[in-house]
Amino acid sequence: MSPNSKEGPGPDWVLEVSGLGVTLGRNKILENVNLTVRRGHIHALIGPNGAGKTTLMRSILGGMPHTGTIRFKFYGDGTIGYVPQFLDFDRAVPITVFDFIRLMLQDFPLFLSFKRGKREMIRKILEVTECDHLMDRMMGGLSGGEFRRVLLAQAVHPVPEILLLDEPASNMDEVGTNQFERLLLELRKKHDLSILMVGHDIRRILALCDHVTAINRTVIFDGKPDELRDPGKVAELFGLTTGADDLLGGAA
Amino acid sequence: MEWIYDIIRGWAESGLLPSIFQHTFMIRGLLAALLIGPLLGAIGTVVVTKKLSFFTQTIGNAAMSGVAIGLLFGEPVDGTYAGLYGFCLIVALVMTFIKNRARLSNDTIIGVVLAQVLGIGIVLMILVTSQFNIHQVEAILFGSLITLNDTDLISLAAAALGAGILFMLTYNRVMLSSFNPVLSKARGLNPVFLEYLFVTLMTVVVVASLKLIGALLVLVLIVVPAAGAQNVVTNLRQFVWVSMFFATISTTVGLLLSGLVPVPSGAVIVLVSSVLFYGSLLFKAVFVRRE
Repeated sequence: MSPNSKEGPGPDWVLEVSGLGVTLGRNKILENVNLTVRRGHIHALIGPNGAGKTTLMRSILGGMPHTGTIRFKFYGDGTIGYVPQFLDFDRAVPITVFDFIRLMLQDFPLFLSFKRGKREMIRKILEVTECDHLMDRMMGGLSGGEFRRVLLAQAVHPVPEILLLDEPASNMDEVGTNQFERLLLELRKKHDLSILMVGHDIRRILALCDHVTAINRTVIFDGKPDELRDPGKVAELFGLTTGADDLLGGAA
Repeated sequence: MEWIYDIIRGWAESGLLPSIFQHTFMIRGLLAALLIGPLLGAIGTVVVTKKLSFFTQTIGNAAMSGVAIGLLFGEPVDGTYAGLYGFCLIVALVMTFIKNRARLSNDTIIGVVLAQVLGIGIVLMILVTSQFNIHQVEAILFGSLITLNDTDLISLAAAALGAGILFMLTYNRVMLSSFNPVLSKARGLNPVFLEYLFVTLMTVVVVASLKLIGALLVLVLIVVPAAGAQNVVTNLRQFVWVSMFFATISTTVGLLLSGLVPVPSGAVIVLVSSVLFYGSLLFKAVFVRRE
């Protein structure tokens, strides 16, 4: 049993995906995908490369034409927090962390506002993920770990009813990953967050989550992370003959 | 319009401005330069961020076809507004549509359309050459201060005002969705709509600037000031202001020089903006330490 697991007694859910299909051109990217994210759970989404994890995430965010239904059950204003896998932007664009957060918080054109008061507010937002000291750094100059923490800071302000997290496949060192996971768990505890996260490091994500759905175009496994601790099971799911031990980081 | 000209002429006569601004065409040029300089500079920051530089060039090329189409439909030689705005807007919106639907890279679509609108423009122009003046083509390509008239100036002012207000109202949202469309969507924005909106306002400004700087050079005035600003600024606010400053210096100083030396205004404006760009590069090399 994962140390962070939280047995939800009630059937209360925050996101329900049913019969979801996505077709691009002649390719079926996703087919008949069903999953339910319980309120307060960390729900992991795993699968081999090209399995459609990011496409599923995009469909949930409303950026993909799809069939089937995606329903949310919100009690508040329905804020969705999103941490993208990466931001594809020109590193030379002179945008600071301060600017980046501010773009999201105000409509008044950023280049016309000269108020100093905003700094304190944005510092508080960044403090939550231990990156307030990065405020005046360029977005393009951040390390992988710093970048993730800035993205997490914006995703939890305002506190979302569901947090969608797309883990990067690479570009993160061990220290950065540990810090990110610690912050994520702290935030989850503090705000009772519901989280759906795409993960690439299966060993780490199994240790973190309450529930796991594996997809490869369609759902191939849905259950408790404990059931996936067996490398044989993972190999079977991912269609591997060898290498499942590597996927599990040799920890099984 | 005359009263504005009289005021500026007065300044030129009293020595407040160089005496060349006693000529009406120079006064019109100055007003145009002051209108489009800041606007092109500000828009350039988004164009550079969204990587739309060559998209802008395509709009410039499309102007050739636009003029020819305007003439075909019987518009006067010095006022093919419907053809210009109509065709350039169609090209811009169709390109954005293809980009969003066809899953081709922006680069590929631009490559295809850039060539097409130039080809169509040349064919059409040869077809209508018998009834129009080749200097008009030159003016579209390189800009021509002399042919700038009151109607141009009024259309430019209207375009600048409309585009400027729209730009300010949508700047933060456009910038955020350029960074990551999916993230902006999660934040409740509509990145596709914002893209169409930005492309439309950019096209209007580009077309309105054509007579002063010309189709071939409009790209330069959008990209170079923003690129120069990138060398010396440390945040987004400075980026916009320095880019606006560089662009306005380029248009006004370029205009003044083109009044003194008989060369097209657009070419001189580009030269000035290049000097500013290399200057900023030098400034960066000497004064700005790498992070």
